[in-house]
Amino acid sequence: MAAATTEKTTTGFFFEGETGRNTRGLLRLIILCTIAAAAIASRLFSVIRFESIIHEFDPWFNFRATKYLVQHGFYPFWNWFDDRTWHPLGRVTGGTLYPGLMVTSGVIWKLLRFLTLPVDIRDICVFMAPAFSGLTAFASYLFTSEMSDSPSAGLLAAIFMGIAPGYISRSVAGSYDNEAIAIFLLVFTFYLWIKAVKEGSIMWGALTALFYGYMVSAWGGYVFITNLLPLHAFVLICMGRFSPRLYVSYTTWYALGTLASMQIPFVGFLPIRSSDHMAALGVFGLIQLVGFAEYVRAQMPSKQFQTLLRAMVLVVFALAFGFLVLLTVSGTIAPWSGRFYSLWDTGYAKIHIPIIASVSEHQPTAWPAFFFDLNMLIWLFPAGVYMCFRSLKDEQVFVVIYAVLASYFAGVMVRLMLTLTPVVCVAAAMALSQILDTFLVASTPDEGDANKKPQANGTPAGANGSVDIKQQFANLADGLRSTKAPLVGIYSYLSKSMITGAITAYLLLFVLHCTWVTSNAYSSPSVVLASRLPDGSQHIIDDYREAYYWLRQNTAPNAKVMSWWDYGYQIGGMADRPTLVDNNTWNNTHIATVGKAMSSREEVSYPIMRQHEVDYVLVVFGALLGYSGDDINKFLWMVRIAEGIWPDEVKERDYFTSRGEYRVDDEATPTMRNSLMYKMSYYKYNDLFPAGQAQDRVRGSRLPAAGPELSTLEEAFTSENWIIRIYKVKDLDNLGRSHQEAVAFEKGNKRKKGGAGKRRGPRVLRVD
Amino acid sequence: MKLLTILTASLLPFTALAVKKSSGDRFQQHFAKQLSNAGPLKLDDKLYGDLTKTPRDYSVAVLLTALEARFGCQLCNEFQPEWELLAKQWTRGDRNGEGRLLFGTLDFMDGKGTFQALQLQTAPVLLLFPPTTGPNAKPDNVPQRFDFSSGINKAEPIHSWLVRQLPDIPHPAFVRPINYLMIGIGITAVLGVITFFTVAAPYVLPIIQNRNLWAAISLIAVLLFTSGHMFNHIRKVPYVAQDGRGDVSYFAGGFQNQFGLETQIVAAMYGVLAFATISLALKVPRIANPQTQQIAVVVWGGVILGMYSFLLSVFRVKNGGYPFWLPPF
Amino acid sequence: MRLDRWALMGLIQLSWADSNLTERSRDILPSTFKPPQHFRNVNLVRKINLEKSYPRETINVVIENIDAAPQSEYYLPFEQGTLGRVGGLVVKDKKDPDNIGFHAEIVEIDPYGATEYYKITLPTALPSKQQQTLSLTYWTLAALSPVPFQIGQQDKQYIRYPFSAYAPSAYTTLKQKTKLKLPSTDVPDATSLPKELNADGKADPEKQGTSYTYGPYNEVPAGAVQEVSVRYEFTHPLTHGSLLERDISVSHWGNNLATEERHWLTNRAAVLKNHFSRVTYAQSAYYNPPTSALKEMRFPLTVGSVDAYFVDDIGNVSTSRFRSNLREANLELRPRYPLFGGWNYKFQVGWNGDLKNFVRRVKGTGETYVLKAPFFEGPKQIEGVEYERIVTRVILPEGAT
Repeated sequence: MAAATTEKTTTGFFFEGETGRNTRGLLRLIILCTIAAAAIASRLFSVIRFESIIHEFDPWFNFRATKYLVQHGFYPFWNWFDDRTWHPLGRVTGGTLYPGLMVTSGVIWKLLRFLTLPVDIRDICVFMAPAFSGLTAFASYLFTSEMSDSPSAGLLAAIFMGIAPGYISRSVAGSYDNEAIAIFLLVFTFYLWIKAVKEGSIMWGALTALFYGYMVSAWGGYVFITNLLPLHAFVLICMGRFSPRLYVSYTTWYALGTLASMQIPFVGFLPIRSSDHMAALGVFGLIQLVGFAEYVRAQMPSKQFQTLLRAMVLVVFALAFGFLVLLTVSGTIAPWSGRFYSLWDTGYAKIHIPIIASVSEHQPTAWPAFFFDLNMLIWLFPAGVYMCFRSLKDEQVFVVIYAVLASYFAGVMVRLMLTLTPVVCVAAAMALSQILDTFLVASTPDEGDANKKPQANGTPAGANGSVDIKQQFANLADGLRSTKAPLVGIYSYLSKSMITGAITAYLLLFVLHCTWVTSNAYSSPSVVLASRLPDGSQHIIDDYREAYYWLRQNTAPNAKVMSWWDYGYQIGGMADRPTLVDNNTWNNTHIATVGKAMSSREEVSYPIMRQHEVDYVLVVFGALLGYSGDDINKFLWMVRIAEGIWPDEVKERDYFTSRGEYRVDDEATPTMRNSLMYKMSYYKYNDLFPAGQAQDRVRGSRLPAAGPELSTLEEAFTSENWIIRIYKVKDLDNLGRSHQEAVAFEKGNKRKKGGAGKRRGPRVLRVD
Repeated sequence: MKLLTILTASLLPFTALAVKKSSGDRFQQHFAKQLSNAGPLKLDDKLYGDLTKTPRDYSVAVLLTALEARFGCQLCNEFQPEWELLAKQWTRGDRNGEGRLLFGTLDFMDGKGTFQALQLQTAPVLLLFPPTTGPNAKPDNVPQRFDFSSGINKAEPIHSWLVRQLPDIPHPAFVRPINYLMIGIGITAVLGVITFFTVAAPYVLPIIQNRNLWAAISLIAVLLFTSGHMFNHIRKVPYVAQDGRGDVSYFAGGFQNQFGLETQIVAAMYGVLAFATISLALKVPRIANPQTQQIAVVVWGGVILGMYSFLLSVFRVKNGGYPFWLPPF
Repeated sequence: MRLDRWALMGLIQLSWADSNLTERSRDILPSTFKPPQHFRNVNLVRKINLEKSYPRETINVVIENIDAAPQSEYYLPFEQGTLGRVGGLVVKDKKDPDNIGFHAEIVEIDPYGATEYYKITLPTALPSKQQQTLSLTYWTLAALSPVPFQIGQQDKQYIRYPFSAYAPSAYTTLKQKTKLKLPSTDVPDATSLPKELNADGKADPEKQGTSYTYGPYNEVPAGAVQEVSVRYEFTHPLTHGSLLERDISVSHWGNNLATEERHWLTNRAAVLKNHFSRVTYAQSAYYNPPTSALKEMRFPLTVGSVDAYFVDDIGNVSTSRFRSNLREANLELRPRYPLFGGWNYKFQVGWNGDLKNFVRRVKGTGETYVLKAPFFEGPKQIEGVEYERIVTRVILPEGAT
């Protein structure tokens, strides 16, 4: 920068001219490498604190799929039919997953082996997300550098991206999920797109399409790109900014990108058959029309004809749009997918797809979550968006659209905070770099000069000397109110040091915040729980793995385990046993069946379990430890989902007391107390306490004095802190009695001969 | 053929008359009334008792509701037109009363006794009394109860519920009438807007193309969304709440909870902070006077510090264990 | 002896260790084979130790060559099937411990034969009419079985051990007796033998505290069997390792000797009559009664071992403790769940050691080194652990010849 005017002798050599560029380039590279290292390092809390372990739920499936890929090779993986999930249906896994993540780690594994570095595939999976977060930081540097003239904006964006908790939340070591690589691909695709629009080159357009294809193979969130890029193009056209550059980049991207995305079996023909993708197709058509009109207009400069042409374009577009709507209504084009649609109609999911509504990460976002995940970036963000309006070029239009859309999505669904984070980092970096560039200039402007040098652009003199004068005036005419006055600079050193100092303090606070959030909130593998002992040492609660390993070691390899779908992937991954339902919630009816079995009486549940060949039932129970994520708290969702399919047999109302409370104590409704889930959770729990003292530490209530009795199941295993309880489904009674009778007989209170016959109703095997 | 139809049609009133005369049936009497007023019967305690008296060879669906404004039952008022529509459609589809289903509405004001007898705390409640005699009779006289707790306020789910509950009778389809008025209004509005734009284009275009306007819209949208407006919209949180001591509490306790006013305060804070940042970055370096500039820097710097500090202190209220703070608050 | 102390019971020791030689030295004999009657047992005392989770038998026998020529091949018979479960066999000269060079090998017989033999070759052939005192010690795997097979979670466990009151012998035995050492005095069943058989005219067995004695018996022909069994209380786990894989990797780069063991354990104790009840288990944790469940294991490692870890197929097991100081290095493990009868557990442990404690350069030969590492370092349990198969691999640095 031109700051070093006074001491040109030594430092000037390094910072000016050809050498200066090299030096700065080297410095930038070093800084970027440091940022990537910091990004990776801050994601390793969980590995250091616990171990190299796969986290949460979905990653366990990805891990299992990766192992399958590594063991059996690519083509078997592509055609993989998994008969150990969704018993008895099975799942065409190869055709129903996004293979990008697994293939990426498989390739890395192969590569490392080729280099004679035999690394365990688990370690590759665990460290995948941190490694890619380093790349994401680099990608956001590139992206921001395209947005802003300031050299520091890119670096700031990179470091923000590297440590923002909003992104760390999904990319700590061990969270081996699609998002781990998808966010990098998202940012990088956007960078390539901006580059393509700027250059108007087919190469950049093709690269965009290539990375878009990669993104499609990696994450269902690709629909965001599929709609954002057309929207950008559309807005540009509406703004009258159609240009051959836009035409070339958009058509290249759309043609190649659509072809690429259709190679993924799970996507297949969706790009031409589903409403989610129709915006891209529509804009593709529009851009052809506009291109044609522009071409014709250039040939025939008649005003009437131009009006006619414009009207024609509009009419054709309207007709095409109507045709699309007609196709959708007639069913040729699939309507909006439920997940995507629920983003717009926010009440839709709760009524129609309770499974989606039941997932905690699909809940709307309260403001503390925004602040928690982004801290001061959240208020720098609007400032950055505002600055985009200063010189509203094509790429800045993109940022504005991205910002508004992503903040809407993030507001509707906690999970989509992830797509908001990149644009927040970019915008905040633009705002902050503007301040720093303004206040870190060492030279003081001359008071007299102020009026003579009108500088429309916000960047200080020297940094950007080659802007077209015409453009400047155009900007001035149409500029923002805050930039109408000519740029002067900052006079006093006091102001400079004050603001610089304050910003430094805020940045330090931001780093502290990020570290604290990462360490406290996002580094728990959720399979392993940590608590503090009175002496401050860490105590690890490992009940999940205790029970999963018990299942793995001490049950038949084909024993079917029934549990709520949350634990399906973990059981498949850690216990290696077939499950009825899992986190790939593709079959609502099957999940509702499990929900019904859990929420009904034993007499109803037992036939269901027999029909599905269930051997073991697993429930999560947190009452002893005060672990609130247990099945009793999720129970209402099971009831609701079951009610969606069997509204006459399972009714949510029956689980609430007459005053509308959800209780587990003496006042719990009979339906509640007779439900299988309640019985399995509290079976024998009373025995742990002195008579009548049994406490539920999650619900904070005292339990009924007499605990529930089970007749069709028997307790097989309970983990150390009772978090996991496993029950074995009894075989049919040898003597042909019902299980209730058998249990009663064993207890010795054999019924009197006369009464038994009358009271015993016909035993009907329920067939559903 | 035609003759036959006419003949049958002319005979119909006679048969109806005959039935009515022979039994003095409550059903025919009420059904005729239902036919004539094209909607559910308006009940009171007496009529309700009469209708649900056993033995009966017909079914009754009674909506117990509280329509008066002072009860503040939003769902009741939302559902009432749907209910009337459903009753109308069903009756129209089953003119001869083959399904033997009656619809009734019992408002709280007319049927306090019934509400007390049923020990109802909430409204609306839909009760379906199955027949106790006749071909479709159910042995027990327990009415089926439809639950509105999941926020259903449309006629379609009720229709399908009725169909499930009464499987053996004819089910007239529920067809939502086409709202010609709405379509008319829509078309007029679209045409009006187009006309307006064509006429006013020279005046409107500069406004639409005004960058400041778009900047303002974008910023407001961003601020709204990032301060949790969608959460309020989806969860329907209260605007403010009373704390225990009669004061207004502006901030809801807990990380996953917020009030309407709270989000507006937060949005305002974000807005002030963003505005201060913009001022520092763009306006301050354009101030020609050194003294004014110095003052502006101090003011805006102070605003950021104060606001940010306050924001952090608010966040500490929401998240108890949060360890960081800035000087003033 | 080290193996004794660690209760090693693998198919190792003599038979396994010689496996490279077996093709050459094993005699395949027809099923009608009968050992030549060159010897007779003048006096035989057999001690059966049942204090651990596997029986250990020691036979002290005075043998006499009754053949004309000097003989060196003494045969020890086992019943069909038992031989495969003999974990180890130690032969010593009772009178002269320094007399080493005994050689024992399995005599392979046609698989349908009823009896199988160990052939023990004496270091020096015994001349005619001379006597020698041998001490034969062997362990048998999976020889104990819980009776009843199913017990409650807190019940006492009873073990039945069937054996022959006459010591197994391929030769005529003039005088013998069998002493049992039991772990407790709670012995509900012990087969009684009529006093006619006894040389002293007393009814067998003779009880004295925890030791039971069958005999003495007068002359018994070769191969005679008198089946008896005892059933005694033994409320401890019968830990059985079906496989142990051990990798010892030498890294000259890291100057490190890394050991990793993969254990496949099963508890052969009585299975639970009802299913596992956590309530009962949690309540019993306060007074810690004897139980047939395997709750923890202790691995005494070579002094100076560091970086011990304990993992299983799904990751780290946090319930381990490693104590290392100048005098000892102990790895204490608790499996994820207590192993009740019939339950399995597979896990891995590993640790590192400084290479200089294990490798030394052979004097004068430049680049030749000698590695001395323990063949086996298993868990040390009070009740003992048995291993069915042990595979130890030594991984040398790349390029080692």
